Amino acid sequence: MLSSIPITFTLNGQRRTVEAPPEQCAGDLLRDGLGLTGTKLDCREGECGSCTVIFNGEPACSCLMTAAQLEGAEVITVEGVGAPGTPHAVQRGFVLEGAVQCGHCIPGMIVSAVSLLERNPAPSEDEIRYAIAGNICRCTGYAKIVSAIQRAAEILAGEQAPAAVR
Amino acid sequence: MTTETATRHIGKSISRVDGLEKTTGELKYLSDLLLENSCHGKVLRAAHPHARITRIDTAKAEALPGVVCVLTHRHVRGLNRFGIAQPDMPVLCEDKVRYVGDAVALVAAETEEIAKDALALIEVGYDVLPVVDDPERALEPGAPPVHAKGNLLHENGVAKGDVARGFAESDVVIGHRFRTQMYAHAFLEIEAGTAIHDEKTGVITVWCAGQYPYRDQLQIARALGWDPEKVHVIASPIGGAFGGKDEITIQIYLALLALHTQGRPVRLQLTREESMEAGTKRHPFIIDFKAGAAKDGTFKALEVEMVSDAGAYATLSGPVMNLAIEGASGPYLWPHTKIHGRAAYTNNGFSGAFRGFGTTQSCYAGEQIFDMIAGQLGMDPIDLRLKNALRRGDISAMNHEIWTSVGIRETLLVAKESRLWRERHARRGEFAPPLFYGVGVASEFQATGLGKGIPDFAGSHCDLEAGGTVVVRVGGIEMGTGVMTAYCQMAAEALGLGMEQVRIVAGDTEETPDSGTTTASRSIYMIGNAVTRAAKALRKVLEAFVAEHWGDGHTLEPGGVFRRDGVSLGLAQIAQRAASLGTRLRGEGHFVHPEADKDFGDGLPHIMYSYCTQVASVIVDAETGEVRVDEVLSIPDAGRAINPQGIEGQSDGGVVMGASYALLEEVLMKGGRFVNANFTNYTLPTAVDCPRRIDTVIVEVPEPTHEWGAKGIGETVTVPICPAICNAVYDAIGIRFFEIPITPERLTAALDANPECKAMRAMRGVGLA
Ligand code: FES
Ligand code: FES
Repeated sequence: MLSSIPITFTLNGQRRTVEAPPEQCAGDLLRDGLGLTGTKLDCREGECGSCTVIFNGEPACSCLMTAAQLEGAEVITVEGVGAPGTPHAVQRGFVLEGAVQCGHCIPGMIVSAVSLLERNPAPSEDEIRYAIAGNICRCTGYAKIVSAIQRAAEILAGEQAPAAVR
Repeated sequence: MTTETATRHIGKSISRVDGLEKTTGELKYLSDLLLENSCHGKVLRAAHPHARITRIDTAKAEALPGVVCVLTHRHVRGLNRFGIAQPDMPVLCEDKVRYVGDAVALVAAETEEIAKDALALIEVGYDVLPVVDDPERALEPGAPPVHAKGNLLHENGVAKGDVARGFAESDVVIGHRFRTQMYAHAFLEIEAGTAIHDEKTGVITVWCAGQYPYRDQLQIARALGWDPEKVHVIASPIGGAFGGKDEITIQIYLALLALHTQGRPVRLQLTREESMEAGTKRHPFIIDFKAGAAKDGTFKALEVEMVSDAGAYATLSGPVMNLAIEGASGPYLWPHTKIHGRAAYTNNGFSGAFRGFGTTQSCYAGEQIFDMIAGQLGMDPIDLRLKNALRRGDISAMNHEIWTSVGIRETLLVAKESRLWRERHARRGEFAPPLFYGVGVASEFQATGLGKGIPDFAGSHCDLEAGGTVVVRVGGIEMGTGVMTAYCQMAAEALGLGMEQVRIVAGDTEETPDSGTTTASRSIYMIGNAVTRAAKALRKVLEAFVAEHWGDGHTLEPGGVFRRDGVSLGLAQIAQRAASLGTRLRGEGHFVHPEADKDFGDGLPHIMYSYCTQVASVIVDAETGEVRVDEVLSIPDAGRAINPQGIEGQSDGGVVMGASYALLEEVLMKGGRFVNANFTNYTLPTAVDCPRRIDTVIVEVPEPTHEWGAKGIGETVTVPICPAICNAVYDAIGIRFFEIPITPERLTAALDANPECKAMRAMRGVGLA
C-alpha cells in the first residue's frame, strides 16, 4: 500500500492539509478522502468531464490529477460554487431551465459553466457549446443546459432579477 | 389540446424537486456512499468469450496480505443464476463462460489495489470453445451451442388476415433487409454500490442503483438462498440507466461479498470499461421488412422477419423481440400481417432492456419502407401516414382492439403544418454542392406497460407526517426522468397543497411499497395513478380525522388548511394530534394495469401505447461524408402533460440519443471481444456535434384510465428520430441506408458506389485514391 504524505492546498476557499498517498487520483481524494462527493468519476480517463474542478483558476479533470499535484494549488469543487440554501446563479439557471435530469454530469457542467462565465460573461451559443464540449451528458441532449448557461449569464448581468427557485 | 378546469400544479413547468440538490452536488448517489471500515470488492471476468472452465484455484489470491475473501461459485448457496425473464445467467460461472463480462470470482480486500492484485493471482483453467458471433449462423444446425438447450433463445410471431392475399391486392410492394448495430446505454453513473451484513439482525443491506428494487431483492435472495425479508435494497436515486440498470448489475456480488467480510461494509465500483463489457446493451437486429399498399396509399400487407443478437444470456431478450414485433406495424391499420422474430444466443456480450425496447429497431426499418412506398406512389410521406393512422377502437396489426387513447393523427397533423415540413422544398435551394439539404419524417407506436398476463401493478403510500408534510412513498426510482417531481405535482394537486408541502421517498424495500419496475414508459401512468389515488385516500382520511377530533363542518382549503367558521386548522396541528394518539394518517393507492381482451401469449399484446412523430432536417456534406442534423421537431402524445418542461427535457435527450443511433455510435465486437469499450473510443455526442435545434410540441389526447389523462413518453421520443434522419438523408442525396450508423465512411462509400456521385466527388478532388 502506498504511504501517505501531507498535502496542503486551498479547497473551496479554505486552506487544508490532508494525508494522502501522493499517487492517489485527486478525484478519489476529494470524494472518498474529503467527502466532497459532488465531483463524479464517470470514466477516469479524461473523456466525460464529470470530475471537472477549477484548478488554479482553470477547469481541469480531477481524474487525471494526482493528490500530489494538489500541493499548493487552489481548488474549487461544485460544493464550493454554491449550496442549496445559497445557490450560485449558474445553479439557479440550471434548475429554472430544467437542465437537470439524472444529474450525474451536472456538477462537472456547473463547474465548466462557472468557469466560462468568469472568463466570458456574455458568451454566444457557440462559445457555450464549445466550453462544455468536454462534458458528456447522456440525458438532456444539451439543449436546456445551453439555455441554463444563457439564463445564468442574464442573472449574473442583473438583466433579470434572480427568480426564486423552489 | 385539452382545456381542463384550472389546476395548480398539473400541466405546469415546475422546477424539479431534486434540482438544487443535483446542481450543488449535495445529492448522495448510492455510488457516493463510502462507509467507515469498508472493504473493497473486485470482480474477476472471463478471459475468453466462450470456454469451458477446467479449474479455479484461489489459494494464492487468498494468501495475499490484505485480502479479506475470495469467492467462487462454491460460495453461491442458492440459485447460481439470475435474469429477469429467464434466470440463465450465472452469478459466478461454475463450468463455462459465455461472454467476456462473465464473472468467475469475487475478491474483497483492504484496498481496491490489493483486490486488483488478488484477481491476477486467481488461476482459472479454460478449454477454449469456438466463438459464436453471428446471430443467423448461431441458429443454423450444427452451430456450437452457447447453452445446452441450443442457441434459439426465443421465437414469437403474430398474424392477421392473409398476407399472400394482401400482397396480391397491393399496387406497390417494397421489401428490404436492414441491420442495426449494438449500442451502449453509456449512462454516466458507473455501476457501484455498498453492502453490509448486520450479523445481529441477519439483514443484508444493499445500496445500489437498480430500476426495480423489489425484484433486485428477490434475485439477491434467490442467489443467497435466503428469505427476501432479510435483504434490504435501496436503489434510488440513479445517475442514468435507460434500461441498463433494469437487470441485476452488481447487487448479488455485493451481497455475497458482504456475507464474507465479518460484518464489515464492502464497496464495489466497476470501471467504465468493465461496465461497457459486462453490462446490458441494445440488441443488434437483422430485419427483413416488406410492405404493400394500394395506389391510394392504403396499407394492405405487412410481412416482417427479424433475428436479434441476444448475446450470452436471456435477460429481457424475449420481451424485447416481442415489442419489436408489436411495434413493427407502426401506428397504422393493416388488414393482413405476418410478423415473426427470433432471438439468438451468441458470445457477443449480452443485450437486454434499452429505452425503446425493440421498437427502436423495427421502427427504424418500417418507417423507411413506408417512406419508400410514399416515394413510389408519389405521395407526401405525411399524407401516407395520415391515411393509415390508427384511431381509437381500431384493430391492431396483431388483431386486438386498441381501446385506449390514440394520438398519432394529432401528432402527424402538427408535423404537416410545421414550418420545417412546409418549407422543406424551398430550403433545398439554399444549399449548393457539396452540401445537400433534406427533410424526413417518422412516427412511432411504442407499447407501454408490461403486457398481457404479466403482473403489472403499482402501490403508493401518502402519509401526513410531523410538521404537516405529506410524504409520498413509491417503490419506483428516480433515474433522471423527473418522475418524482411529477408524483409530487400529482399528490399536491389531489390534496390541494403547495409543492413544498410534499416530499417523496422512493426505491427502498423497507421504506416504500412495491410500485413495480421503472421501465416500459409506465411510471407516469402506473405510479402516477397509484400516487394520485393514495393522495385522494389521504384526503379522505384527513377529513374523517378532523371530523372525529374537531367536529363536522370543516372544509379543506388550498394549502392544506381545514376551516370552519373562520377558525383554521393546519396540517402540522393535525399531524401533532395524530402523533400524540399514535395514529398513522395514511392514504394508500394501488393501480393495476388494464389488459387487452386478447391473449397472444408471452406478454403479447399490450393495450397502452405511446405515439410520437418526429421531423428532422439534415445537411449532408458529400465531400466529408458527414451528416449534420440541422433541426428537429419532436411531437409526442403525452395524453396530458403533467410537467411540460420535463417532457421537453425527455424529448431533447431522446432526440440526441436517437440521432446518435442513426449517425454515430456503435459498439464494435471482434470474435466476441469488445473493440471500443471505453469513452476514449466509444464516441458519444457532445454539445458541439449534437442536433442544435430541437423543438418539442406536446400533443394531448387524454387517456381515460389515468387520473389526470397522462401517459409515458420517455421511450417514444427517442425512437422515430433515427428513421426520420435516414429518410432525410435519402431526401437530401437519394441514397437509402439499410445499415446504421450512417458514418462518414459508410456515406462516402455509398456515394462512390454511385457513378454519378463518384464523378462529382472526383471532380472536386475527393473520395478517390
Ligand atoms: S472522470 Fe474525469 S473525465 Fe471522466
Ligand atoms: S443529466 Fe444525466 S448525464 Fe447529464
